[in-house]
Amino acid sequence: MNPQEQTALEPRAIVRRKPAYNIVAGALAVLIVALSYAPLLWLGFMSVSPDPLTGMPGTPTWQWYAMLFEDGKWLAPLGTSLLFAIIVALLCATVTPIVARQIPHMRHGGALMALFLVPLVIPGVLLGVGLFFYYRVTLGLPMGPWALITSHFVWAFPFALLALLINTTQFDIRLRDAASDLGASPWRAFIDVELPHLMPGVAGAALFGFLLSFNELSRSVLLRGGTTTLPIYQWTQASAHTSNVPLLFPLSTIMLVFSLVMITAAYWLLLGQRRKPA
Amino acid sequence: MTVAESDQIARMEIQRVERRFSWSRLTVGAIVAFWIAVVIVPVALLVPWSFMRVEQFRFAWSFNLDAYAQMIDTGRLSVVVNTLRIALTVTAIALVVSLPVALWLAKGVRSNAFRVTMMAVLTIPFFVSLASRTIVMRPVLGRTGPINSLLMQWGIIDAPIDGLLFSEFAVHLGLLAPAFPTMLFPIFAAIALVDDDLIEASRDLGASPFRVFMDVILPLAMPGIVAGIVFTLVPMLGDTVVPQLLGGTNVAMLGTSMTSIVGNMNYAGGAALAVAVLVLLAILVLAMRVAQRRSGLDRGIFEGLRR
Repeated sequence: MNPQEQTALEPRAIVRRKPAYNIVAGALAVLIVALSYAPLLWLGFMSVSPDPLTGMPGTPTWQWYAMLFEDGKWLAPLGTSLLFAIIVALLCATVTPIVARQIPHMRHGGALMALFLVPLVIPGVLLGVGLFFYYRVTLGLPMGPWALITSHFVWAFPFALLALLINTTQFDIRLRDAASDLGASPWRAFIDVELPHLMPGVAGAALFGFLLSFNELSRSVLLRGGTTTLPIYQWTQASAHTSNVPLLFPLSTIMLVFSLVMITAAYWLLLGQRRKPA
Repeated sequence: MTVAESDQIARMEIQRVERRFSWSRLTVGAIVAFWIAVVIVPVALLVPWSFMRVEQFRFAWSFNLDAYAQMIDTGRLSVVVNTLRIALTVTAIALVVSLPVALWLAKGVRSNAFRVTMMAVLTIPFFVSLASRTIVMRPVLGRTGPINSLLMQWGIIDAPIDGLLFSEFAVHLGLLAPAFPTMLFPIFAAIALVDDDLIEASRDLGASPFRVFMDVILPLAMPGIVAGIVFTLVPMLGDTVVPQLLGGTNVAMLGTSMTSIVGNMNYAGGAALAVAVLVLLAILVLAMRVAQRRSGLDRGIFEGLRR
């Protein structure tokens, strides 16, 4: 189809003829954005409010940030969370490509895909409880880092896989054959020809793994043993009704800003690459 | 030779090459085995565990329905039903709000940059810590918080409403915002994949925009809508953060109930509760599949990725 025909047909015009619809849908989009971002914005306001527990901002003050950095109890959980998130990110970056480059060409690829997506259709707490009974009660293994990393990886992997499949399904595998016809070993062909194509997806998978592990809570609750990640720390502090509660606002704000930077990076990688072939 | 034929020949060639380099196959096999061991087995074992007794913190072989009888006696089954009711309500609201937005962004917006930016803005909150976004809702909904203040300033109420926080309303509100990304994205992806020529053809044949939506877009986007419902409903059922921080002791939901059961070492009870949820989930998913099949559009949810 040539470009003139495209414009003549106006293929995307089904809704545009109804301006009233655009207004309603736009208003609903604004509603979603407001519901999603207003609390995040308010979190920032609360972190500089003199009395965050009243829910109202006052004269901005940095006192809670100062107390937070003096307190320092959150540093160890932060370290744990960062370590776990990096391990899960590395696992996602290495394991996901192995699976994602094979699945589109496997005879039972669909069934395997369904298998890997199972954690998305099982509530987190059920997988947490299942893993707890399995490790702790049946196998007698101790809870803690190992159990947490497994549960985080299992949660992040389906998302990493879906992100990378965008790349692997678009990769023309004949390029791999061309490389081997020209004398490249399978490993060289992978490194020099295939991997550069997959790289944005691999980086996206790693960032998804990092973020989903860094902020994971509902699976961690039962599997933590003696280990405290940052979300577990936030959660126990929030439900404990201690005098430390105001400190949660600057802490959550810092986590939020950090996460937003990482997410933007992940989206940049995944969406920027999709624009290229178009 | 057509493109499809050359594609097929390429695919056959690949299968031949793949078979030769069985190392990567072997690795995938190992990953699948690991996956079955840490995902499928623990969940599948919940069923036998729920029939067992617990002795010295271990499951002991037996077959009894004590855990289920106990679940009904203690009213814990009503917690499951309660959780399901709240989660279904929030999912329904999220669906009704998200569907028009997904349609608008997929087919009604001309600028691709605007479309991509909006989808990014709408799905980014998925990766934000649920604890962070829930913690702030407490002061927001509190007696002196902005909502009560605004309502009083506008003269809608005379005294602050106490029941805003630690209520089902708070739980619904806390669950709603995180529900949008998982609802929007699959529906958007599914509608975006609907062939524009089909829409144009039905319009040329005289269908109104409403008919086009009902008869062309909606059936073709069904797999995405089902995926959106599942991906939104399922994590919500197991959520521990929102009910505990916003519902307090007034709202009993599955996540908090499960944590306390396991904390009390009632392992068989926990397994039985988990099985009850799995059975309810299976019924829901089956019902949706039947509805989908009856509409004659039983496509794989992730088929679109293959294109």
